[in-house]
Amino acid sequence: MEQIAFFCGAIGALGGAIAVVALKNPFYSVLALVIHLVFLAGIFLLLMAQFLAAALIVVYAGAVMVLYVFVAAYVGGIEEPRWDSSPELKLIGPIAAIALFVAISIAIVGSGLSALSTTGPDDIPAGFGTPEAVGHLMMEDFLIAFEAASILLLLAAVAAIVLAGRRREDPNKLPKGGESS
Amino acid sequence: MPGLVLGLPLADTNFVDATWIMIVKSIVIFLVILNIVPILLLVERKLLGRFQQRYGPNRVGPYGIMQPLADVGKLLSKQSFRPKGAVPILYELAPALTIISAVLTIAILPFGDVKGDVGFYGIDVPIGILYFFAFSSIAFYGLLLGGWASGSKYSFLGAMRAAAQLISYEIAMGLALLGVVIMAGSLSLVDIVKAQGEVWYVVPQFVGFLIFMVGGFAETNRPPFDLPEADAELVAGYGTEYGGMRFGSYFFAEYMEILIVSGIASTMFLGGWMGPGPGWMDPIWMLFKMWMLAMFFIWIRATLPRFRYDQLMSFGWKILLPLATLNVLVTAILVVAT
Repeated sequence: MEQIAFFCGAIGALGGAIAVVALKNPFYSVLALVIHLVFLAGIFLLLMAQFLAAALIVVYAGAVMVLYVFVAAYVGGIEEPRWDSSPELKLIGPIAAIALFVAISIAIVGSGLSALSTTGPDDIPAGFGTPEAVGHLMMEDFLIAFEAASILLLLAAVAAIVLAGRRREDPNKLPKGGESS
Repeated sequence: MPGLVLGLPLADTNFVDATWIMIVKSIVIFLVILNIVPILLLVERKLLGRFQQRYGPNRVGPYGIMQPLADVGKLLSKQSFRPKGAVPILYELAPALTIISAVLTIAILPFGDVKGDVGFYGIDVPIGILYFFAFSSIAFYGLLLGGWASGSKYSFLGAMRAAAQLISYEIAMGLALLGVVIMAGSLSLVDIVKAQGEVWYVVPQFVGFLIFMVGGFAETNRPPFDLPEADAELVAGYGTEYGGMRFGSYFFAEYMEILIVSGIASTMFLGGWMGPGPGWMDPIWMLFKMWMLAMFFIWIRATLPRFRYDQLMSFGWKILLPLATLNVLVTAILVVAT
């Protein structure tokens, strides 16, 4: 039963991820990404990482993807002209992609695959994957990394507001009235 | 230790019943909520009639009590029609998505503590309230897909309004509940109810309660926040092109979500199943509190006019969100200090 659930989740997640890249319509791509995230959350649940699963759905499917869908639905219908890349980019692009693939492969083979061959720990510690356990990890063991990430996000948010505010100062470019928000 | 349900390892839950008890109680909870919805529908129409100095439905059966049955019969027998411009599969999928996520959320509403071998709730997950937010964000895709796949401008505008409304109000709603979570020290809904033995959280967390209820009105697309439907401007918003039982699914899901938001509010702020009387009264108290809050939804619908779109957005971002953040901050300081 566990295997069936895993393979359903894996096929769904991989299929969703491939569909994101393969589909032509950006709106469907975004929807495929949502499907991918939902199946990924299912796999997290199988791994007892329930807080991570819930956070994935709430934050990504529930907030980030809503914004993506919003944008894709509003401007998605426009046919964009095919963009011709320069010959240098055609050469550098694949090289960079292969280099990234090799780097990630080394990282996975070096660390992750050794765990794949085992059956995993026999006894999962009580409360594994609950919000309490994740909270203890973030606030005690990885406090500096957690704070650094939150400061980075705060900076990005402030920067976004500053950039948006600067554009609004130009009164000629912003149409007045109507549904503005 | 994680339990097993149907051979699947269950992520760490606080209490797991035998599998057959789980199946029985999920059927019971589903049937009870499913049968409250038509009653709520009838009572809403009756009450709205009284608010507006008219009778409301009174032709079908004595006092019109058979009206919901007649409505369901009509919806079921209608043609399942798909407009020419609609996207085939997504158009049919969208209402199903909305009602499935609404039904799944019922699972976490606690109607009582563990009695003997049975926990009086669907499941007590330690992520608790996050479960509610996860499924409410999936429910939103039902609205969005419905509006987008209908191939109609009114539906599309309704769906876009739903998207903007959701991201504006869900944050304030989550922060409003965070105050309760900090006070109770747990996300589990059952533990939160148990922590309210001395005083219901509506007293110390009154600001949080107000913000949650306002967010709840926006979340369920009820007046005064029914902009995604806004029948005066958008015909019926995301549901314009839907008829028959597909429309019925949206309609049912909306009322089910009213009950769910009422249930979450009762659990988080009004002491959940707690009330005077013997132990078997617990589910009745919970249902009573849910019912009273649902009546509050109807009362507000009859009282307040609809917001304008930009008012809704600035209210959410400029008033509710700072207020909710302040509430969390003050709560956290008070909890740490005492």
